[in-house]
Parts: sequence; C-alpha cells; structure tokens
Amino acid sequence: MKPARFDYMAPSTLSEALGLLESVPGAKVIAGGQSLGPMLNLRLVQPQLIVDISRIPEMSAVEDDGDCTVYGACVTHAAIEDGRAADGTGGVLARVASGIAYRAVRTRGTIGGSLAHADPAADWLSALTALGAEITAADGKQERRIPIEALMTGVFETAIGSAELLTGVRVPKLSANARFGYYKICRKTGEFAEAIGVALQDPERGRYRGVVGATEGSPIVLDDLPSLKAGTEADPGELRERLKGHGMDDPYEIQLHAVALERAIQEALA
Amino acid sequence: MKTINLTVNGQPVCAEVEPRTHLADFLREQLRLTGTHIGCEHGICGACTVDINGEMSRSCITFAVQCDGADITTIEGFDDDPLMARLREAFTSEHALQCGYCTPGMIIAARDLIRRKGALEPQQIRYEMSGNLCRCTGYAGITAAIGQVMAERDALPLPPAHEACIGPAPGPGAKRTAQNTSNAAADDAGKPDDDSPSTSLSPGAAFETFSEDGLTTLTEHVIVPHDADRVWAFLGDLETVAACLPGARLIQQDGDLIAGEMRVKLGPMTPRFAGEGMIRRDDENRSARIVGHAKDTGSASRARGRIVYALQDTGEGTRIDIEIGYALTGALAQFSRGAIAKDLVGRLTRAFAENLQGAISGNGPAAGGSADGGSDALDAGGLLGAVIWGQIKSIFAAIFGRRN
Repeated sequence: MKPARFDYMAPSTLSEALGLLESVPGAKVIAGGQSLGPMLNLRLVQPQLIVDISRIPEMSAVEDDGDCTVYGACVTHAAIEDGRAADGTGGVLARVASGIAYRAVRTRGTIGGSLAHADPAADWLSALTALGAEITAADGKQERRIPIEALMTGVFETAIGSAELLTGVRVPKLSANARFGYYKICRKTGEFAEAIGVALQDPERGRYRGVVGATEGSPIVLDDLPSLKAGTEADPGELRERLKGHGMDDPYEIQLHAVALERAIQEALA
Repeated sequence: MKTINLTVNGQPVCAEVEPRTHLADFLREQLRLTGTHIGCEHGICGACTVDINGEMSRSCITFAVQCDGADITTIEGFDDDPLMARLREAFTSEHALQCGYCTPGMIIAARDLIRRKGALEPQQIRYEMSGNLCRCTGYAGITAAIGQVMAERDALPLPPAHEACIGPAPGPGAKRTAQNTSNAAADDAGKPDDDSPSTSLSPGAAFETFSEDGLTTLTEHVIVPHDADRVWAFLGDLETVAACLPGARLIQQDGDLIAGEMRVKLGPMTPRFAGEGMIRRDDENRSARIVGHAKDTGSASRARGRIVYALQDTGEGTRIDIEIGYALTGALAQFSRGAIAKDLVGRLTRAFAENLQGAISGNGPAAGGSADGGSDALDAGGLLGAVIWGQIKSIFAAIFGRRN
C-alpha cells in the first residue's frame, strides 16, 4: 500500500505547471489528491512526476463574472459547503458539496480535481451538468472553454489534453425563483453513488432540466421535462422511456436511476 | 528527497522526505508519533485522521511533501484542548471504544463535528461520522458520547477558527521550502518495480486448473456474411484473432496452451495483464471454450475469465454467439463498481465482434489493431478492444468504464 517512486513539483505559477506537463510526458496533476492518492497507494497509477497545482494562487480563487461565478480548480468541497467560497446558486452548490464523500475528504478534495478525474459517480459532474456549467482549460498556448456535457469522453477520461490543465469551472447563477432537487442512492453514506438524480426548474431562464448521473459514462441530460415545466409529479413511465431512449437497457439500472430522478423532481417541486 | 518545513503539534519540524511518503507514515515512522493509526491506507476508514491547518484530513492520502508549510495537529497534540478533554471523558463514560484502534481518528472527527455543528439528532451524528469506521462498538457508544458533549456545546470553549484556505491546505500563502536535496529520488522516480511480463506456459497445465467459479457473465452475438467453414478456419488462427483486440499480444502458443499480455489505458491507470490460458476447439460443433488467468504486476491485481463461442450457419452468413465470464481481484477491483465493469465487458464484446467482422472480411481490425498481433494499447478516445483472449480480455474489464 505504498506508492511507487515519483518525483514531485509544486509550481507557484500556471505557466510553470504547464511547462512541466509539456516537458514530462505522463506527468500527473494533483490538487487535493483525494482520488489520485488512493490510486497511487494501490499502485494503480505510477507516474514519473506529480505536479501539485494547489500552490498556484489563481487556482483557489473565486470570482464573480456577472452571470457566472468562476471557481478555480483547487476550491475545496468544504470551502463551498461552508460558504467560504461565494455561491451564485442560492445554496445549491453548498448543498451538493455537503454530501460529497466525508468531511475529511471534502477539506482537501477539489471541484476541479473531481471533474478532471471524471468518475461517473461523482457529484459535481452531475450537479454542474444540471446547472449548465463550463469548464476552463489552458495549455501553453491558449485558454479554452468546454461545455460540461463535452468534458467526459469515457470513464476516467476527459477532453482535457495531456499537456493541458483544467483551470476552473464557470457556474451560471440561478434566478431567485429557481428550484433545485438532488437525490443520490448510495449503499453506504459517502460511498460512490449507485444513481444520482438532479432536477432544475428555472423559469426565468427557461431551464427545466433533469440529469441522471452515476451511469457508466457521461450523465444523461433530459431537457424540457414536462413535470418540471408544469410543476407536477413526474410521469414514471415517461422517465423510464426516456432513459431507455438514452441507451439504458438493464431494468434494475433504469428503475434505480428513474427513482433517483423522481425524488430529485419531488424535492425541487416541494 | 525533498526538504520540508512544517509545524507538528506546535513544534517546528524540518525533515527530508521522499515524495511518495504519505503524511501518516511520515508522522509515525519519522516523527515517531504513533498515535495516528493506519487502517485501510486508501482513504476509506478514517483511522489516520489528523488536522491540517485546522481542518480534519486523511493523512494516508495526503503526502508529507504536500504539507510543506502546513500546521499539523495529531492526536498527541490535543492533550490540552478543552473540547478534546471533554470528549475523552464522554468516550470513557459512554464506552465509545473497545480496542481503540479507530479512536484517534474518531475523536478528532468528533471534535471537528462539534466545532462546526450543534444540536444534531443521533441519526445526523451517525451520518456526519460515517467517514470513520469502528469494528467494535456498533457506533452506539460513540453516537451517545458525541451527543452528550454536543448538548453542552454552548458552554464549551470551541476551538478558535483557523485561517481557512479555499484550496487544499496549506495553499499558496504558506511559506515553503520543498526543494530537492538530492537527485537520487528523481533519478529513480518513475521507474516502477520491474514488472516485465515473465509470461511463459506452465508445464502440465490442464483445463481443469483454471477456475471458472463465480464469474460474471455476459452474452453477445454477431452475424458475419461468410460461411461457417471460413469463419471457423479464421478463428483457428489465434494470432490474427488477437489482432482484433487492441493492446493484446499473443506471446506463445503451444497446442491448446496460450500465453499473452494485454495493455489498457484508462484515465491515469495503465494496467498490463500477462497470463496464460487454454483453448479447446470442438470442430464438430464449431464451438470453442477459452479459459485463463492473468496478473497485472504493477497493481497486484488478478483476473480470471472464460470465453465460449459457437458458430451457426444461418444460410445468409454465420452467427457467432459469444459468452464472456470474468472475475477480478486485487487493487483494481477496488475501482470496479458493478455497473462499470458490466458495461465495459459488454462494450468489449461488441467491439470485438465488430473487429472480427472486419478481419474476416479482409478489412483488418477496425479499432487500432494491427496485423502482427501486437496492436497498440488503447488510448483515451479509442475503443477498448475485444476479447478472445483467454484470460486477459476479461480482466481489466472489470475496471473501467465505457468508451464512446
């Protein structure tokens, strides 16, 4: 249970970090290390170099950018849970953050690290998909924005290049009347979710989005859900049909995920 | 080695550490602070919980080198803390421990909970404490002890708020020194323990020596527009068939015995499974059964698997029914939640079927395989390959996810 040898650098600027990623193929980025740490201990990952980005000031910055709040990649779940990081969603982010793993993980685990790790059962991936967030990424030449729906290309795989760094996430603010529901099914509190349901009703922005997460890939987005539009209970048959339409075929998985979404919708409309 | 400067239980510490030394080992082995316990060593059990800059954290998945400039408090550092003193009394009176192994982490987590929250119901206390495992008490005594102290919260001196970081502590503001003090570690870094596959065939291996117990199975079928004789002959050439499987390589074949390896890239993980198997072909019924097992030395994970396929002439082509069974143990299994594994093997099977179709038709395997049987390991967007490989295929299977 001890990691294989690696070298470690903790640059204090973004350009230094990007230079290291460019020059050392196979270098891995660490932020809080709450996913990478176990993988290193289990020797599932044996990188030559680990680049710690937590010493780069802009990585733990939170900025108000009008319609969006911009979180640096290294903002911890606990900082969001505690309200130490500004929240333009009226507490939605804090609510999601408070349910991630355990407090001792949330104090070091980061929003950017969770997204870059691309575990389908992770909370931020599903929750931020419902909110319509955008990822910011940079390499040595340019910065770009990636819609969160396009981030995950497979389990543990993202659209972020090997010499590119996920620098932050832009989270659209919600209108005052927006309503939100979140429900996850776990065998044990804090464990990886078996199913995640997210519901967002934001009439001012015309957003009536359901998200089904903890699938075997990217979260499934169900836009314009009639129940969220009408403010009525979801039609169980319709939800299941739509999940089937997205390629779910195992009756158990369909049931689990449909129930998670139904409960999220109930919570949003309650 | 790197030099780090940090504060541990109020005392300044300067030490040389290897980057791979986690904080719990550093505290226990270098500073001899053995009150911090190590349980699971991958962030599940909470026994190693310590405070880093006033926030409780897991020292087994935090590296010492990350703590350059940090302020650490271990269980030994709470002797004079009034809230901890009160918790110790309550843990004693409520019988909140038996063997005591979890207690250092448990009581640090309890103190942190009372620092942050008050007036919780017992059920909420259990929820909040769920990151710390106890094998003795059933949590009843622990919940009662925390409830007892929480009820007095308003009258207790709570720990002063630490200057909280928004990122993982100690963050950009911390003074730090972490410098290479020698290049020895760097020179050795990235050289994993020798895990080159020493795959060779065991003398005297028999079909029965490959366990087929407890496999998860999946089925898939494919129809190829060729007659069954041609397909059956094609499937007899294992080297070509292996080429349908990206990352796979046939190392040796001796009659029914086969040895091979398979590499997969999945996110940061790149397991390489090497192993052996046996194939038994039934010419009369045009069906075959392959069994095998393999090992990824790097992660000390093992896999077993079975593939059964049967051909059926449909008049317009040949239908190949494939059944795959797999089981995975070891570190990789920790990351293989059921749905992910099942989905992956399903995709593998489909991808293999597709490649096979292409190869039989003379187009070569579709997804990155090459004719020499030594196709490249899969990379990020690529299809995970297929599977005819005795052992291997199934293997990594378990782990990972899907690909589009």
